[in-house]
Amino acid sequence: MTRSIERVAAVGTAPERVDGRAKVAGKAPYAYEHPVERPAYAHPIQATIAAGRVRGIDTARALAVDGVHTVLTPDNAPPLRRGQDAELEILQAPDVAFRGQIIGCVVADTPEAARHAADLVAVDYERRDHDVTLASDRPDLYRPGEVSHEADTEDGDVDAALAGAAARVEAEYRTARNHNNPLEPHTTVAVWDADGLTLYDSTQGVHSLRSAVAEVFDLDESRIRVLAPYVGGGFGSKGTAHAHVVLAALAAKRMSGRPVKLALTRQQTFTLAGYRTPTVQRVALGADTDGRIDALAVDVVEQTSRVKAFAEQTALPSRTMYAAPHRRTTHRMAALDVPVTSWMRAPGVCPGMFGPEVAMDELAERCGLDPIELRLRNEPDRDPETGKPYSTRNLAECLRGGARRFGWDARPAAPRQTRQGEWWIGTGVASSTYPVHHAPGSAARIERRADGRYHVGVGAVDIGTGAWTVLGQIAADALGVDREDVVVTVGDTALPFASVAGGSSGTTNWGSAIVAAAHGFRARFGDDDPPAGSEHTESAPENPDTERFAMHAFGAQFAEVHVSADTGEIRVPRLLGVFAAGRIVNPRLARSQFLGGMTMGLSMALHEEGVMDERLGMVVNHDLAEYHVATNADVPSVEAEWIDEHDPHVNPMGTKGIGEIGIVGTAAAVANAAYHATGVRVRELPVTADRFLTA
Amino acid sequence: MQGSDAVELVRPDTLEEALAAKAERPGAVPLAGGTDVMVELNYDHRRPEALVDLTRIAELATWSASGGHVRLGAGVPYTRLIDELGDTLPGLAMASRTVGSPQIRNRGTVGGNLGAASPAGDTHPVLLAAGAEIEVASVRGARRIPADTFYTGVKRNALAPDELITAVHVPSAAVPAEQFSKVGTRNAMVIAVCSFALVLRDGHVGAAIGSAAPTPRRVPDAEAFLAAELPWGTDAPLPDSLKRRFGELVAAATEPIDDVRGTAEYRTHALGVLARRTLTWAWDDHRGSVRACA
Repeated sequence: MTRSIERVAAVGTAPERVDGRAKVAGKAPYAYEHPVERPAYAHPIQATIAAGRVRGIDTARALAVDGVHTVLTPDNAPPLRRGQDAELEILQAPDVAFRGQIIGCVVADTPEAARHAADLVAVDYERRDHDVTLASDRPDLYRPGEVSHEADTEDGDVDAALAGAAARVEAEYRTARNHNNPLEPHTTVAVWDADGLTLYDSTQGVHSLRSAVAEVFDLDESRIRVLAPYVGGGFGSKGTAHAHVVLAALAAKRMSGRPVKLALTRQQTFTLAGYRTPTVQRVALGADTDGRIDALAVDVVEQTSRVKAFAEQTALPSRTMYAAPHRRTTHRMAALDVPVTSWMRAPGVCPGMFGPEVAMDELAERCGLDPIELRLRNEPDRDPETGKPYSTRNLAECLRGGARRFGWDARPAAPRQTRQGEWWIGTGVASSTYPVHHAPGSAARIERRADGRYHVGVGAVDIGTGAWTVLGQIAADALGVDREDVVVTVGDTALPFASVAGGSSGTTNWGSAIVAAAHGFRARFGDDDPPAGSEHTESAPENPDTERFAMHAFGAQFAEVHVSADTGEIRVPRLLGVFAAGRIVNPRLARSQFLGGMTMGLSMALHEEGVMDERLGMVVNHDLAEYHVATNADVPSVEAEWIDEHDPHVNPMGTKGIGEIGIVGTAAAVANAAYHATGVRVRELPVTADRFLTA
Repeated sequence: MQGSDAVELVRPDTLEEALAAKAERPGAVPLAGGTDVMVELNYDHRRPEALVDLTRIAELATWSASGGHVRLGAGVPYTRLIDELGDTLPGLAMASRTVGSPQIRNRGTVGGNLGAASPAGDTHPVLLAAGAEIEVASVRGARRIPADTFYTGVKRNALAPDELITAVHVPSAAVPAEQFSKVGTRNAMVIAVCSFALVLRDGHVGAAIGSAAPTPRRVPDAEAFLAAELPWGTDAPLPDSLKRRFGELVAAATEPIDDVRGTAEYRTHALGVLARRTLTWAWDDHRGSVRACA
């Protein structure tokens, strides 16, 4: 069979997700559902103090419960290798670093018995005063070693430039503590046998999880297999290994061969699965009378857990957004007795585009400019941070196109101009951006099998994004066959190495590997269908253009906001996002990514805040009844569009990554629109009704 | 479950059996839709000696209307109340529409709302404003408790330990001048930051606040003011000064706290707004009926 020359490219078409039917029919096994022989069930025991140590644990009542096999404690848990990642090195010492930390575990025949018995464990603590309060004037703030890039940057003389600026904005902005809350909770099934450890885990990276587990169990990676064929969302919270995975593996080790299942409860995910730090952002912008920014400073204060440092890269996006000769960004951290902060959708970039993008709105008003015009006037020719040219930068197109589509021109320039009944009405805009991340080493295997199809294996994970589907589209084009002739398999460390599903980089990294493998396959076996059994594995080559160009996706977010003059209640009847994110592989699935991100951004703007009770050192609204995420009724109209962007530098597909950019800038657009509606400037998230009482 | 921690599940088929079970185990917790009780059990906030499942008792899930009253069985779910009694009990139906999600409304009941007696329960202000009576029963007999005296504290009510809620008696609206309004921190599936109900009927005013005091409560000064000042029997519009004064009296009757959902100050302010707003709507209903009679 020779392939048809007229074959239509699969990339750019919009097939439904290949895993969709299995998922809605309940036939796609999520981690916890993998059938194993006679599983036992583990339930964590969590510290009920925020700082101190465990003096003693009385497990007698727990052990007396029918069906309970063992209670793991710091006194009896199997040893782990220590010194690498204290979040994972659980039950090795009696210290308590945050409320909710794992201090033990019950293993029983049923999840009910395990949970019940966990409640019967009596713990004697030695308390120390805890410290859970983030404040920007703490004397013990420190500069982190790095925040994925350098913690601080400085060009020119920001203070002098600010002092001489014709128009100036200097204000403090705050974003709230946010929790990822994927629909599928964090679950693990651990099975030890003679060959080693098998984990069915709800993870964003089978290989990265394997590395973390191998490290802490001091095992060769070849003795660990991780499988994650289907994952019900992660938003970053499944991107790094968390303690419950280690706990499940420890419990299974103790059960000598019997598999152990562990599912975190929703409440447990609030302390054990990572979350986004609250941030305090001191933003300063200085501009000339034409609105050209001369000085830009973003000084960030945020928190980290004492047990493990994680520095949210909050000032990162402001380094690349706008031209300014005098620039400064800093990060300062408070190490607190709090759970471990970690990745949440667009870490750093999402909160870091709140303060500066609201400040831009304020600067536009000071300069008497339309907020879009201000942004256009400050478009850089080259990346202000690195001096490199952009591979492509189409922010201006997004802003202009979005303005046309949104009806921006009809907007009154001044705030508090439009009233319909009890409602003040306003519109707002903010820019959006997300870097194109590359991670080395992903590989793909392509095999032509007896079924006549090309089987593509890559150890990627589809966390609900559509990787199962788009990787097949990419493979079909790279091989020059129909999509129906390609079978993709992901989610298994038995497949070639793949980078984590994070940083909006999955399609870049895995797709590049597939293209390389497909081209290698054809080079080796020719363009005609080779015999069954022909197989080729290849890694994605390094992309030299990543050194030559600054690579970022951009976008513009528009919001219409209504604020009740009587109660301050806020409605967002309309959101529009326009994105320039390279080539869109599958418009159907891409739209879902954008809309999902924007909806999450709206939720961040209006609802999401983990409220810390400082007396207890815990987030009190740690469930979905009280930690609100946007409901359908909060989101009447969300639309996403994209411009046809061709970027020859980012990767062979021309894609930039779309999983995160949708959440970036949304909250600023909403806050700016609320200001335009009411004249009340809110610089702190979430934007709530009580802020408008004076309106 | 085992040993002393076991929770016994009693599943009576008749009210008599249920009352007998409750008499025998006064600590037993009645279970209707389970939308409150099961959450509390799940979080281990309580571990009762027994649960009495009332869902098998057919008569609790019925309603009847006679003599200007509706007797609403304690086990009628919100969804049925909305579908079947929307015209007869418009205020209660309005409040019911704001409860939880469709799934919660399919399970949850007014009886359960009363049993939980949360200060934020959505139906309480309407029951208070409408002058409802709560019918309770025990092996000792049945009695009716006026809604005014039913709520005795945060999540506490006037039931004796052996009593079960069997029904609520609500005057039906000859004229649908009943309104309910609620502020939440999102548009659906939300616990009230504060809520307000107003019922206007033949010279009588019932008004009550929710989620702004230790218990849902009526606002007597505001009621008395309105009863005296409203131009009953006319279709005259209300002066702004009257609406404003009513709002002030309602706000003055609040006793709110700060919590995760909102500040005390916000609640007081918003209740004044809800009072004015519901008064406007309810008076419009009243004026419509006056014109219809003319």
